[in-house]
Amino acid sequence: MSDFLVKELMVPLSEYATVPEGSTLFDAVLALEQVQVEFDHTKYKHRAVLILDQDQRVIGKLGQLDVLRALEPKNENLGDINALSQYGFSSSFVRNVRKQRRLQASPLKDICSKAAKLKVDDFMQAPSEGEIIDQEASLEIAVLQLVMGHHLSLLVTRARKIVGILCLTDVFAAVFHTMKECEIIL
Amino acid sequence: MNELEKLLDRIVQRININLRELDYDVSPFIKNLVPLNQMVKFYAFYGITPHHPLNFEFRHSSLAGSYFLGKIRTGNSMLYKSDIRGDELKQRGDVFRYQKFEIPISRDEGIDIEDSFLVKTLVHNYSHDPESLEKFFIKDTASTHYANIHGSPSDGCFLGPFATVDLTTMRDCIIGAFSYVQAGEIGHLNVAPGTVWVRSPDAFNFLYRHPLDKLNRYVDFAAGRPPQGVFIDFVEGRKEDFRRVFDVVKLEPSVLVPSNASLDRFAVIKPKTRISENVLVAQRAYLQNAWLGKGANAQENCYIVNSRLEGFDVTAHGAKIIEADLGKNIFVGFNSFLRGGSESRLTIGQESIIMPHTIIDVNKPLTIPPGHLVWGLITDPADLELNSMSLEDFSKIDGGLVHGNLSFEGHGARFVSAFRDRIHHILEANGAYFDGTDKRGHAQKNQKISFNTIQPYADGDLQGLFPTIMIHP
Repeated sequence: MSDFLVKELMVPLSEYATVPEGSTLFDAVLALEQVQVEFDHTKYKHRAVLILDQDQRVIGKLGQLDVLRALEPKNENLGDINALSQYGFSSSFVRNVRKQRRLQASPLKDICSKAAKLKVDDFMQAPSEGEIIDQEASLEIAVLQLVMGHHLSLLVTRARKIVGILCLTDVFAAVFHTMKECEIIL
Repeated sequence: MNELEKLLDRIVQRININLRELDYDVSPFIKNLVPLNQMVKFYAFYGITPHHPLNFEFRHSSLAGSYFLGKIRTGNSMLYKSDIRGDELKQRGDVFRYQKFEIPISRDEGIDIEDSFLVKTLVHNYSHDPESLEKFFIKDTASTHYANIHGSPSDGCFLGPFATVDLTTMRDCIIGAFSYVQAGEIGHLNVAPGTVWVRSPDAFNFLYRHPLDKLNRYVDFAAGRPPQGVFIDFVEGRKEDFRRVFDVVKLEPSVLVPSNASLDRFAVIKPKTRISENVLVAQRAYLQNAWLGKGANAQENCYIVNSRLEGFDVTAHGAKIIEADLGKNIFVGFNSFLRGGSESRLTIGQESIIMPHTIIDVNKPLTIPPGHLVWGLITDPADLELNSMSLEDFSKIDGGLVHGNLSFEGHGARFVSAFRDRIHHILEANGAYFDGTDKRGHAQKNQKISFNTIQPYADGDLQGLFPTIMIHP
């Protein structure tokens, strides 16, 4: 497809938003804001925050959806709603119940203020096998992993150590660039 | 006792292998549920009538205190004080109707219990599984105190105390304590305690979850000990009254029974009880100062105390009615617990439906208006408001409703009509509408019934097991 390698497209770890384990969601959001200002001028480039342990190893990733998930009401009724599908209720019924419960819950402002104090450890996603790619891998392999795993980004390794993050947007830009090149040659 | 211990171990392993997907070990729940020396103490007995098949086969089983009627086979099983009532089984020549199918029944249906452990469980009705027409199977299954297996073939399941599975085939399922399931067919499900679930695909889906913090007061079941709570205390408090009816061979009824009514000789009847025409009182029912109007019934494990039922009322298996006044045509579902007080009567208006596994426990008078559907746990008028609705309003639901702990999807009218049809069928089957010639039911057919007893080995390696016994006309 192209000569691009993952290491040429990835954002180095040093330029990416990171927070230590035990940080709050608010810390994570601030870290994200900070890197947007310092390293990147593309408004939506950084969509996740990496969580580091004491040895500065990446132990998890907190995406935008994970933050939104933290805003979901946490009460006993939620378990009941999740159980509805098991008991044969239609997905549209379950969706309506969720909406109803959401409207009955506290206003978004209150929820955000409470959620900001929650720990990132409780909402981050530990890296899965298909989410890790070697920096020497080709663009084709990166595309394959993103598509197969429905990932928004991949964690890039060098000698098994995570050194960067490969974002879907950067991969798409590279693919788009390659397409345009092909078109010109044809 | 060696063989009995081995048998229980074998049953436990067979159930666990079925429930491995749900990561459930029944062993701590059932190993000490009934001390094995109890299995030696009680005889088993069976009924003989001209109206039901007489076809029993008991092999390598312990049957202590259990009752059998109809066509029943047990193998490698332990039954403790259970009622296996085969008086509604399909008969040769019947036609089973299911969706667009009409399948003739080629031989009398039988209840087949294999590798199972049933404690104080009621098995009744007929197999509703269209794929198993002539065999109502209960296989690799354990059920605990006062569970009901009603028209529900079961394979690899565990039922907690006071659980009911009704008209549903179940495979590899756990049914939590005091849960009621009527859903046609279920598999690999772990139904949480206190769940009341009635589903007819494409028609309606009714789901209520009892609040566990409150339900625990009534039924509390944990590994390593028998069930506890108000229900067990209530039943255990009346245990002695049953001892007499099981110990005495010939018992004359202590109350006047009309010629078209039936009072089982293994029911307890305490003073000031009135039995009207076409009434059915089943074995292990308990009546004390109970007024049963025409066509009313009290099924197995029912308790009716200081209460009046005006007539054509159904008290389904395991229901308890205490200090209450019921109008006509009221349905009280399986294992419901309705308790008023001498100064706080519970009054239920005619044509009301009390859903299975409902608890009404009040210390101030409470009145349920006529024609209402009632569910859940009710201790005061505010609970009643949240957990009831007029049948007329319920029938108007078209789509969905979330009301307190109740979720309902589908057509309310079809739900109400399904229940009304079922109630009518129960009354009909019980003989409530018998006119002296036609519409004969259990109340009339169960009158001329005699009982034989069978005994286990009293000692040795086979202690507690019954010898192989085959009984035919």
